Formats: sequence, C-alpha cells, structure tokens
Amino acid sequence: MKIKTLTLLAGAAVVAFAPTAVMAAGKTIAVSWKTFQEERWKTDEAAIKAVVEAAGDSYLSTDAQGSAQKQAADIESLISQKPDVILVVAFDSDAILPSIQKINDAGIKSIAYDVQFEDPSALYITFDNVGVGRIMAQEMLKVKPEGRYAFIKGDKGDPNATFLFQGMMEVLKDSLDGGKITNVCETFTDGWKPDNAQKNMEQCLTSTNNGVDAVLSENDGMASGVVAALDAQGLAGAVPVTGQDGDLAAINRVAIGTQLVSVWKNSVDLGTVAAKAAIELANGADPTTIAGVAKFSGGKNGVEMNSILLAPTPITKDNVQVAIDAGHITKEQACAGVAAGSVAACN
Amino acid sequence: MAMQTSAGGPASANENAVQRFVRAAEIDTRMVGMLVAMLVIWVGFDIISSVLRPGGSGVFGGSFLTSRNLWILLVQTSTIAVMTTGMVLVIVLRQIDLSVGSMLSVVAVATGVLQVFHLGPMLGVGHPVIWIIAVAFALLVGAAIGFFNGVLIAYGQIPSFIVTLGGLIAYSGAAFLIASGVTVAPMDKAFKIIGGNGPLASIGPFWSWVLGAVGCVLIVVATIAGRRRRVRFHFTPKPVWAEFLTAFIACAAVLGTTAIVNSYLWPQRVAERYALENSIPIPPGIEDRNGLAICMAGDKVVNCVDGLSFQTGYPIPVLITLAVGLAMTFIARRTRFGRYVFATGGNPEAAELAGVNTKWLTVKVFTLMGVLVGISSVIASARLDAATTALGTLNELYVIAAAVIGGTSLAGGVGTIFGAIVGALLMQSLQSGMALLNVDSAYTNIVVGAVLVIAVYVDQVYRRRVK
Repeated sequence: MKIKTLTLLAGAAVVAFAPTAVMAAGKTIAVSWKTFQEERWKTDEAAIKAVVEAAGDSYLSTDAQGSAQKQAADIESLISQKPDVILVVAFDSDAILPSIQKINDAGIKSIAYDVQFEDPSALYITFDNVGVGRIMAQEMLKVKPEGRYAFIKGDKGDPNATFLFQGMMEVLKDSLDGGKITNVCETFTDGWKPDNAQKNMEQCLTSTNNGVDAVLSENDGMASGVVAALDAQGLAGAVPVTGQDGDLAAINRVAIGTQLVSVWKNSVDLGTVAAKAAIELANGADPTTIAGVAKFSGGKNGVEMNSILLAPTPITKDNVQVAIDAGHITKEQACAGVAAGSVAACN
Repeated sequence: MAMQTSAGGPASANENAVQRFVRAAEIDTRMVGMLVAMLVIWVGFDIISSVLRPGGSGVFGGSFLTSRNLWILLVQTSTIAVMTTGMVLVIVLRQIDLSVGSMLSVVAVATGVLQVFHLGPMLGVGHPVIWIIAVAFALLVGAAIGFFNGVLIAYGQIPSFIVTLGGLIAYSGAAFLIASGVTVAPMDKAFKIIGGNGPLASIGPFWSWVLGAVGCVLIVVATIAGRRRRVRFHFTPKPVWAEFLTAFIACAAVLGTTAIVNSYLWPQRVAERYALENSIPIPPGIEDRNGLAICMAGDKVVNCVDGLSFQTGYPIPVLITLAVGLAMTFIARRTRFGRYVFATGGNPEAAELAGVNTKWLTVKVFTLMGVLVGISSVIASARLDAATTALGTLNELYVIAAAVIGGTSLAGGVGTIFGAIVGALLMQSLQSGMALLNVDSAYTNIVVGAVLVIAVYVDQVYRRRVK
C-alpha cells in the first residue's frame, strides 16, 4: 500500500483553491452523517460548513442517528434535492453500497468520509490508520531504541486494534529481529477500557518484576490506565507510554511527562480537506487531479479507490502548542500541574 | 430464616467420622469447597507461571503467589466486592439490579467533573476539603439514583429487571452527556489515595498488625458471645474444641493476610522518591537487579537485597471493602432491616401479612445498593486517576456473578455477604491470573463464564444432597 501523506495540505489548499472556489459559487454539497453521538462529528461538520459557505456554495445534511436503514432513506432524500456532491459517513460500510449505486445512477459524485465503503467511483478521505501505529512506534524508538516493550492493544473485535499493531510491527520488525527490543507483554483489552488496561498493565509489571522499558498503548483512554499502573510502581514518567485521539487528559499527561505521545487526528483538517475536494469535484475536476490523491486498495475486498490519506499529528512535549493553537484544548487544560519551565507551550 | 447454610443438624445413625466432624463443628462445607477451589486456582497459576517465566518469587517459583500479586489482587477485587455486598441483599429480596455498572459510570463522571472542573478552580487545586465533598457527593448521587430505581420498582410496580435494564442503558447515556464523552483527569491528590496508589494509600506495617490483632480479639469475643447466646436460648452449643478450631483458623487467616500485605514492599522507585523527599538516608550496598530494597552504589540509587525498604500494609480500598463487608454482614444478620430482607425474600406474602412494609423495604435496599455503588465509583475513579464513561461497563454482570458464585440464590431468601466477597475474589483471581500468564482475554471470558455456570450447578447438586 503506497500512501502519499499530506501534512500542510490545508494551508496550501487555501491558496491553490481560491480561484476555483469563486467559480464554484452556487453548487450544493450534501453530507449524510451516520451519527452525532460522539462529540467529534460536530467539529467535522463545522469545518466542512465553513469551507463550503466561504466558497459561496450551499450545505445540506442529514443525520442517520446510528441506523443503516435511516441512512438509506436519508440518501434518497438528499438525491432528490440534486446536490453536486454527497459526502457519506457510512454507518455500515456494506449496507451503504446500494445507496451509493443510487448516487452514481443520479450522476452525483460521492466521497467516503472517514469510513470506507468500497465503491471504485467514490473518493475516500480519511486519516491513515496504519500510519497511527507507525507513528507511535517511531516516536517510541526515538526515546527507547533498545529495551523491553509491552503492547496494550485495543479490543480484539475491532479491526483497528490489529491495523494499529501492524503499523507498529512494520516499524519495530528490524529491532525485534535484531534482539534490540523484546516483546515482554502483549494483550488485547476488552472494550478498549481504561480499567482493563490498568489491570493488564499491573499483571504485566508483576510477571516481569517491573521489567518494562516502554509501553505501546493503542489509545489515550487505555494510556490513562497504563499510567496509573506505572504510577503505583513509581514508574510514571520513567517508562514512556503512547496513545492516540488527542484526549484532553492525555495532552495534559504529555505536558506533565507521564505520556510520551498522543497521536491526534484533527477533525478540522479532515473536514477542511474533504470540503475542498468536494468543491473541486462539484466543478467537474477529475478526482485523480486533486492534490494528494493516490490509489488505495487496503480495504476488506481490496477494491481500488482514489483516496486522500491524511497524516495524523503526533503531539509530544515539543508541540503541545499545535493543539492549543487549533483550539482543541485550552492552555489551562493542557498545562494543569505542569512544572514551570518544563514545557515550552506552558510558559 | 434461611441464611444459615451450615450443615449443623440432627445426628443420623449412619454417618462416618468425617461427617460427624463436619456436623459437630458446623462447618459450612460449601464455603470450604469454594475456598479450596480458590486455593487450587492460586497454586495452579503460580506453577504455570513458574513454567512460563521461571525465577519468580512465588511459593512455587511463579509470580502469582507473591505478596505483590496478592496485594494487587485484593485491590483489584475491591470495586466489585463492595457492590456485590449490596447485590446480595437485592437478590435475596428476589430483585435484580442490572444498572450498577452504568450507575458507577455516571457517579464517577459526575464526581470527576465536580472535583476537576468546579471544585478545583473554585477552591484551588489540592484544597483539603475537595476529596471530602467529592466522596459525599458520590455517595449522595449513588443513593439518589438507587432511591429512584427503588421507588419505580416498589411503588411504580415495574419489575426490577426492566427498571434497571432501562437504567443500564439510560445512565450510561447520562454519563456520556455529563462530560460530553471526554475523560476527566487527573483526580484530586487526596482523593487518589482512596484508590490505593502511592505510599500514603496504605496504612503501613504497624497499623496493619494493630488491625490484625484487633481482628483476632474481635473473633474471640464474637465466638464467646455467640456461645453465650446459644446457651441463653437453650440451643446446643458447639463442642468447645470446635469453637477453638474455628476461632483459631479465622484468627490465623487474619494474621496471615496481614503478614502477606506487610511483606509487600514499596516499589523501589516509590521508596526512592519518598526517601529523597523526606531526607531519609539510603544505605550503601551492592546492586542486585532482583533485590526489592534500595541502596546507594556510588552516587546512584540501585536495587539491592539488603537496604532501605518500606512495608506496605493494608491498602485503603481493601480496608474500605473490609469495613463495608463487616457493616453489611451486621446489617444482614443483626438488624431488623436485615431480618426483614431475608424474611421477605423467603416468602414475600408471609412477610407482608406479618406487617413488613415490603415496598419501603425495597426502596431502602435499592438506596443502599446505590450508596455502595457510590463507594465503588470513588474507589474505581481514584484508582484509575481518571473518570471515564467506560468505567463500570459490564460491572453489573461481574457483581451479579460474584454474588451467585458466592452462594446467593436467585430464587431469593438465601445468601451471605462473606460468600459474595469470596466469589468476587475468586473471579478476579481467574482474570488476574490469566492476564499474568498473558492469556488472550477471549479465553479468560470463556473460563469466567464457565466457572459461573459450574459454581451454580455444583451448588444445586450440593443443596439437593444436603436435603
């Protein structure tokens, strides 16, 4: 899987797309959301809306409220309003396919937003999930090139837990084979639950007699359990821990120093990039000419799609400022309990 | 009242020596069976772990029967154990509470939001009254939700299964809304102690021994008082040797546990930090990576065998569990409220005709359950040092399973607090042991589920035999 990652696309895109945006006025961009139960989708929506409205286009949306059936009906009603592009956040990536067919039949362009559905005519825009595991492992190798690694994986029923682990293994393979690092504990965590992660970490520390130098936890919630277990042994801060999601508490731990990194998928970036791509498509652009588009065939059935995979941002002690500047967290929240002078962003 | 499950009964002609002994000493064979099963599990885990990772300091060379693992095991059990004592009364009353997990989540998140987002900024982070307000608030919210459940069940006459099933779904939604799904952390420093982490979260060797000794004295006093009471009501007292034996075993168990929690030493880095902060001199010594004490080798602090070390003693959450267990046992066996619960569970119609206000009793039992959930939520969030919606998920199943494994009958009227706590310990032993062996959690779930069913099956067979 060859992936072209974008980092500063958002900034570059503003300049590049400005002229087309003016031309695009009057187009309609529709979004079929799967749910608004999680807080993040409101952030995504705000970002998309801002780009669309700034371009003088109109924004249209439906909320499937966590139901595949409602989403099918939603999409039909969107089609009847004749938008130029429909972004779909699929609730069920298989059940959505007949609806996508209807979008295609109506001559409307589609974007798979964040959740993949395997239709070759759609443009797939998401964060690079295998990349998150890779970034975690890279950040860890920077501080612990040698030593005993523990792996706290997510729920065994969630394919993401395995994707993340694959990403880590890609990076760590050489060091593991060369014996520089050893895998001392590796457990799945039921339901990605922090308290389960805490218990698993406690048992890991007991069985190895505290012989752990680094912990690769697959998300921030579990990292909080891992840090609590390490703290009980006086090891919090001494043993680096990874995480992802940019949880507010995790960013605070990064600033305090008990967590090494929180890999953050900024919904604002995702929404902005997707909205800009949607406007280009609405203007009749060929998907392959949009900046950052590459072929992706890493899905369940291996269908080749045009896709934009965004690189997530690793938040470490050195760049806490990024999350503060993006308005994701306040300085007070990020810096609570941080020793003066230890983190640049908190001074 | 059917709360005694001991085998004491009329002598029959054709019993052998063992049966005679068991009957005379009034040994609860069911409880003994459960304790033996637990011992087998513990020894098994220690032996298997010694094969997988040799060189452990456990009794059989593994890492399960070490003071460290047993200490952590007790702490890990506390959340479920506290709640299961209340679940015993709920089930004895022929009701069920499926909402305890979600209640724990909502109480933990609400308490977390209160102390981190409101009390912290208002009173200043680390203010000494924050933890008191937070704990009181948790108990109050727990009681309020439990009361609400109880009123719906008793006066709304909606089956408890439905009310609490609704609660299971609704309260987790409420927990999500309170903090809009974010993890609330870190907890107040003093509040955190309740979770058992850190040097101040245990009472140390001296007070642990004092507690152990007091426990022993109480056992002796209770034995004598119990004997007197039997004589007063013209019951046949146990033979003197049997009284001595049970008191001796109970006392040995208390002192043994005390010795185990005391022999768990502070983790080296915790000891090091404490020594540096309090200017306690660290003696010089030779580095030994497996040593549990700390020494100075040159200007570096290292692990060593003979050096500075601190004994841990009983951790706060375990003390809370013990206190709750004792209080609940007292409530169940010695108060009118407790007797009414067992009487109503045994035969609701008869109890009502005898003048028990069963509706109000139901409300009280569910309110008590809520308070216990409040206590558990404090322990759970203090231990994790964070409050999240995920905290408490599926706990209702473990709490009910612990009560049932511990001998509480879903038909109502029968159950003991002590048994339920042992049930909780048994389940946690399985989970921790398999995590220690790095077993995939899928297998752990299969084993825990199977143990639940087998325990109830064995119980049924046993009860039929006794009859």
